[in-house]
Amino acid sequence: MIYRVRHTTRYAYGSTVDLAAHMLHLRPRDLPYQQVRSADLTSLPAAARRRDGLDHFGNAVTWLFIDAPHDLFEVTAEAEVAVRYPAPPAAAATPPWEAVREAARAGGPGAWEAVEYRFDSPMCPAVAAAGAYVGASFPPGRPVLAGLLDLNARIRADFRFRAGVTDLSTQVAEVLERREGVCQDFTHLMISGLRAIGLPARYTSGYIRTRPPPGQPRRRGADQSHAWVGAWLGADHGWVELDPTNGVVVQEEHVVLGWGRDYGDISPVRGVMLGGGDHGLTIGVDLEPVED
Amino acid sequence: MTEAAPLDEMVDGAGGIRPHWGGLLGALSTLGRGELAGRAALLDRHFIEEGATSLLPGESDMPAWRCDPVPMLLAPAEFDALAEGLAQRASLLEAVLQDVYGPQQLLAEGLLPPALVYANPAFLRSCRAAAGRREGPLLHLYAADLLRAPDGGWRVLADRSAGPTGLAHVLENRRALARTVPELTRARQLRRHGPFFDIWQDALQRLAPPGAAGRNPGVAMLTGGPSSPHWYEHVILSRRLSCALVEGGDLTVRDGALFLKTLRGLQPVDVLLRRLDGRQMDPLEGDQSPSHGVAGLLDAMRAGSVRIVNDPGAGFAEAPALAAFLAGLAPRLLGERLRLADARTLWLGDLAVREQVLGDLGRWLVRRAVDGTVQSVTAGALPAAARAELAGRILAAPEEYVVSEALPASVAPCAGPQGLEPRPVILRLFLVHDGQRWQALQGGLARALAAPDPGTGARPGMRFSKDVWVPMQEPGEVQGPPQASIRALPIRRGSGDIPSRVADNFFWLGRYLERLETAARLLRASASRLAVSDPGPRALAELKSLAACLVRADLLDSETAREIGTVPVARVLLRAVRERGRLPGLLGQVGRLADLLRDRLTGEMHLALNRGMRELTEAFRAVPARREEAREEARSLDALGHVSVAVLAFAATVAGLAAENMVRGGGRLFLDLGRRVERAQAIAAELHRVLDQPGAAAQPARLEPGLRLALELRDSVITYRSRYLTALQPAPVLDLVLADEGNPRGLAFQLEAARDMLADLEGEAGGPLSQLAQSLLEEARAMVREVAEASSQAEAVLRLRPRLAALEGEVATLSNRIARRWFALLPAPHSLGPAPAIRMRGAA
Repeated sequence: MIYRVRHTTRYAYGSTVDLAAHMLHLRPRDLPYQQVRSADLTSLPAAARRRDGLDHFGNAVTWLFIDAPHDLFEVTAEAEVAVRYPAPPAAAATPPWEAVREAARAGGPGAWEAVEYRFDSPMCPAVAAAGAYVGASFPPGRPVLAGLLDLNARIRADFRFRAGVTDLSTQVAEVLERREGVCQDFTHLMISGLRAIGLPARYTSGYIRTRPPPGQPRRRGADQSHAWVGAWLGADHGWVELDPTNGVVVQEEHVVLGWGRDYGDISPVRGVMLGGGDHGLTIGVDLEPVED
Repeated sequence: MTEAAPLDEMVDGAGGIRPHWGGLLGALSTLGRGELAGRAALLDRHFIEEGATSLLPGESDMPAWRCDPVPMLLAPAEFDALAEGLAQRASLLEAVLQDVYGPQQLLAEGLLPPALVYANPAFLRSCRAAAGRREGPLLHLYAADLLRAPDGGWRVLADRSAGPTGLAHVLENRRALARTVPELTRARQLRRHGPFFDIWQDALQRLAPPGAAGRNPGVAMLTGGPSSPHWYEHVILSRRLSCALVEGGDLTVRDGALFLKTLRGLQPVDVLLRRLDGRQMDPLEGDQSPSHGVAGLLDAMRAGSVRIVNDPGAGFAEAPALAAFLAGLAPRLLGERLRLADARTLWLGDLAVREQVLGDLGRWLVRRAVDGTVQSVTAGALPAAARAELAGRILAAPEEYVVSEALPASVAPCAGPQGLEPRPVILRLFLVHDGQRWQALQGGLARALAAPDPGTGARPGMRFSKDVWVPMQEPGEVQGPPQASIRALPIRRGSGDIPSRVADNFFWLGRYLERLETAARLLRASASRLAVSDPGPRALAELKSLAACLVRADLLDSETAREIGTVPVARVLLRAVRERGRLPGLLGQVGRLADLLRDRLTGEMHLALNRGMRELTEAFRAVPARREEAREEARSLDALGHVSVAVLAFAATVAGLAAENMVRGGGRLFLDLGRRVERAQAIAAELHRVLDQPGAAAQPARLEPGLRLALELRDSVITYRSRYLTALQPAPVLDLVLADEGNPRGLAFQLEAARDMLADLEGEAGGPLSQLAQSLLEEARAMVREVAEASSQAEAVLRLRPRLAALEGEVATLSNRIARRWFALLPAPHSLGPAPAIRMRGAA
């Protein structure tokens, strides 16, 4: 499947910004199952300095520095990406979740990089209540993917997708209490819970196609940045991507920007500026197939 | 563990004195027991006067720094062995940092548990070059804490890699000892500290990236500012290293390069000596509190245009659990065995050792695996219940704990009330990388520990510090380890450009000093007049004028002012010099600014300011506080007069010191400018008020009280008398107060000086601000001319009043324009994106 994505972020400032620095995670990551054919990034006003690089997690980062006074900042990322996610292994063929937990504890060849994702991170600490919720999907001896799929479906069923009731500072415990939120909340909740029972989990930032294939329901989280969970199945099977907001395994409808421990590691647009006052934010995302 | 007795540094097992202590002990006994205690008190006072504050993490509740008059002695050969061992250890930590912030090969090979890296709050992901290697050195300054075990061997307790503290205190300890116990310092020749700091300074210059070639590299020390617990150290160190002391707000990144914002524009910074938490260096990528750090700084670092030492991520190596793996890593990374042992350390994430440790927890010192700032706990000192509880916590999260052997530190003689008493000591030694190898400071800091606190199991805190002495083997011994590498230092000159923030502070220091002085002068004039028991009409008129000035200066409320001369007001005026009154308030502002400027004031000035402020504060306190005591008007007046004279003396001292001690230009210029502007404004304001004599047009004699007051408030009575010998007349008085450029208390002098300084700042032929000062000067001259030429001087004087009020306003405008032109009025930076409230752990 080949997609074209266009992502526009627009900040309208209450007063003039004299100097701004931005860190962007807006270029899709090249992966064995995701080939980035083109990626383009433009900003208004144009940056006085731009640098592209890779972060610790291997994601593409762009830094923009603007030193001309401006009242509006707009950044547009466009990319063409071919995706072909591998089918997940048969759930029954994956190791018991306790074995995965032990492998993530011990580290060593094939496992050491996954270890990073089982520790607390600023926005995804291991929350006991989340661990209890998640734990219900992991009775002793259950193959790890079976537990994950069950959990993924439970979150979809138990939580209401509702924008505007949560924001970036909403804690996992509160989401658990309210039983509603957006993709970011469900992703953080699932990550926190998995970490609480010792399983590595990471936050994947990306997009989901705006209009569903004919005859299928429209997905939640379209028109926006989307987020889902990467979960580790052990050294043999590696990572699987699960979208708890839609209750699906990520396969045909998603494009990956990158991943980190939580939103903070991979937020699409970050910035520090002099001046600016209050700001208004408009985001537009469009992900359409180029050909089927 | 068998309960081994601590080793005694001075006395050997057989009751004899270890040879290297011999000479010192002789000098000490000559001094005598009582004298030693006296010198200890002298040292305490010295550090209080210097304003030396505590330094070491976890010990910040120490009110003032303390140093024992008895030094800690280390035999030269022993010191050299320690220095060599620590040099190897620093190289090893550098290699570990290079791997962790680069390929992470050690993790892939299983030589370093990922838990120690990824769960370490000081592992800064933004400092990792995931696809390559970081350019070294990441570690530039290194310190280690050590103790001597009962077996006589030294063990490393902790590594300090983020930004080791204590060097300023090493310098100050040595200086203070030389002054307070010269008998001891004279008794033997010691290895000196100087070469270490010279090497360090030189090394910083060499770190400058190639882009700085062809000019004097810009070296700056980044501090959190006066609110930082280590501010004292930053001031002393930056001075010793001749580098600019800057805060995040003083810096800016433009086009991938770092600059210092100065009055003369942006000055490049090539090397940044970091004294700020690594996570606060760049709000764009780390902790999102834009009040610290500089947005884009890490980008500039990655681009190679600025070198930051120690690297923002270097705090990683402080993780206590790392010690459990260093012996294993040394052969792999250095091809050598570790020379200097750690106190035996075990990481409890390792299943095999966990059981062994938990079975016998009492013999271990328990620490957090990756956070060296958490106080260690001696499990053996805990009551059984607390120990069991600790074991439970460890079992719940074993990876988060590390244990090391609880060793009793050796004891060294310290001054006590009963003469010498032995106390356990912990040593901190410092090394700097000169570009080729690690060079040790030939001395260090010893901390004498307080008695342990039973119950908490916490390691006892520091009671006082000790200077570490390494005697020269023989007189004239070559300094320290092989130092053939010392080259001639290049000539350096500090650039005179000061940050805008500093100029701002100096300007306001000048203004507040002057304001304080003006207030004191008004109070003194009031005190002398109020003492007259039954004032006649002229004295009453003076008092009325004075009252108007007092109201303007916030020394008197307008209601009381109306009753001046008819009711006793001394009591009311006295409020201005009491606690929370106007004068203590102004003095507080002076003190605040002097603190902010501590790094810019010479030692002498700082001392004098400090002492002066202490004395003034005492004088304020001595003012009769209760109404009963102040009931007698006479007593109040006496107190008022006394305090105002003390304030005037203080102001004169500061002004004199500034004139004699401060280099012209830069800070001095703004200090002067502040004074001139404040004084000019006060002159115009006072004159406007004292000339308010409605009946004077008809009766010119009515102007006289005002004229007399105008002279007195400007300290110009004597000058007038010597020039004119006789009665007061408006034009000569006004000439002296307004137009005579030679009168340092007059307006023309202030405006002329301000004009010249502004022209100097604006460059070339002078800009709009110096022109404004010039036009004010001309206006002052015109006023005097008009009065002198008028047929009725009294009438002409009365016509001046609105013009004087306007002049007062114009001077205020000048002040505002100065602030806008040169001071940092930029809005504070703020951030977009996630800003989770993160409580930071550990040291980075």
